[in-house]
Amino acid sequence: MYLTPEQEAMLKGEYGWSTAKAMEIIVKVGESLGAENLVKIVHAHISGVSFSNIGEHGTRFIRDFYEKGGRARVYTTINPGCVDYSGLQSIIDNSLINAQKDIDNALVKMGFNPVFTCIPYWYRPPSPGEHLAWGESSAVIFANTFYGGYTNREGGPIALAAAITGYTYNAGLHLSENRRATVLVTTAPDIDRQVIGAVGLWIGDNIREITVIPFAKHLTFPELKILLASMAASGSHAMSVVPGLTPRGTYIEEIEEKIVVEKNDIDKYIGDEYPRGSLVLGYVGCPHTTLMELMEVARLLERYGSPRKGRLLLTIPVEYTERYRLLINRLKSKGVEIAAGTCPVVSRLRRKYDVVVTNSGKAAFYLRKIHGLKVRITGLREVIESVYA
Amino acid sequence: MKPVVDGDCEGEVVLVDQYMSFLGEVDPVRGIVKTEKEEISVEGKILVFKGSRGSTVGSYVIYAMKQYGRSPLCMLVKEVEPILIAGCVIAEIPLLVVEEYDDFAGTLKNKNHRYVRYTRGSGILYAW
Repeated sequence: MYLTPEQEAMLKGEYGWSTAKAMEIIVKVGESLGAENLVKIVHAHISGVSFSNIGEHGTRFIRDFYEKGGRARVYTTINPGCVDYSGLQSIIDNSLINAQKDIDNALVKMGFNPVFTCIPYWYRPPSPGEHLAWGESSAVIFANTFYGGYTNREGGPIALAAAITGYTYNAGLHLSENRRATVLVTTAPDIDRQVIGAVGLWIGDNIREITVIPFAKHLTFPELKILLASMAASGSHAMSVVPGLTPRGTYIEEIEEKIVVEKNDIDKYIGDEYPRGSLVLGYVGCPHTTLMELMEVARLLERYGSPRKGRLLLTIPVEYTERYRLLINRLKSKGVEIAAGTCPVVSRLRRKYDVVVTNSGKAAFYLRKIHGLKVRITGLREVIESVYA
Repeated sequence: MKPVVDGDCEGEVVLVDQYMSFLGEVDPVRGIVKTEKEEISVEGKILVFKGSRGSTVGSYVIYAMKQYGRSPLCMLVKEVEPILIAGCVIAEIPLLVVEEYDDFAGTLKNKNHRYVRYTRGSGILYAW
């Protein structure tokens, strides 16, 4: 691989241990993917920061980089950790706060922005063609598909290494010729947009190639976020193409195969009906809610009093608690539980629920697998109704 | 076959013929892969699977398996992506791409082959 004199010096240790180690990781991964050189990035997003997911060894790995001098060389944001920073809820177990603090302190002192959200594009929307090194699979696919940014699905350690060096390997989706969509996916007319998360899980599970998904043009921004996130959870999709939405010039469309998603394909992803009287955890916010979703939830809650069949949990970026305080207070007054800077996928729950009802395919995928919970996918309105009606 | 993270690879095979998300489908503390049907121990084995999917946290789960002493000895896959490679790089677990994966997995199943051997740099994978 060709390295510039600066990159060579980094690798040799002239910038300290952390930079050298970070460069070594990037070069090794790059070489194995056939990269000929490195590419300068403008934004790194660090995933793998939740103590409940990475444990003591992951914590040690990150702290080593901080203690041995690693510092951000580019604008860098941080994914959610395993504790709630708002104090506005009672669903998520905050007992790991000290362990999480060790990780957070190292990240913040390295100069990374403590946004603790999986929607880093809310802070800095990428421009078409910009090179990024993002972890967080849902953010990666959103950056490539909606914004036309260029990023691979970087594993957590690569995103960290890229933040410290300012570079990543020039392979995969950093090269225009690899941004080639070959499978056209359409949905049967009787598939409801409420279960778009289940459609995403089916696509992730059954298709390997980069897809063209014209039906997604009719989705709202939050629905698109949910669809793409679920494709990236059950599969390894890093981008998709929505004609008319994905910035032109950031992809090549050469259809070789057409696939129709049928209604009975997605049944198993939606999950079973649950009996009346079940204790329900309604969940919205995977990936983290946008302002539009918060407003929509508040609007839907207007006709209801307090929760009747369980609890409703929303997860949001930390900054919303200040920025949208009036809206948050309104939601709180309806008994909504609001967790900031975390989510149930990367944390532990304080108690068991009979069923989780959510609009998120990604949440369904991981809550079933990590926490062994029963999950039912449905639309936003139905999630609210499952708890309040 | 093509070495991605090169290294010796010899031992008993365990075939998990699917893509998997190391976050959620692997328990690093116990060294177990959780499929829809069963739990499979991969500790000290040669893990054969299609490749990674899902969470970008997967790299750290691979690293944790190694640190807990519960990792597979090496991994043989159909395709690689950065999440998997990064995990194997930092955990120092050999990772090999088997280009004719489907034939290879079929052979393991049909002929009931249970062991493989690959020597670093040799380019040849033996199964018996």
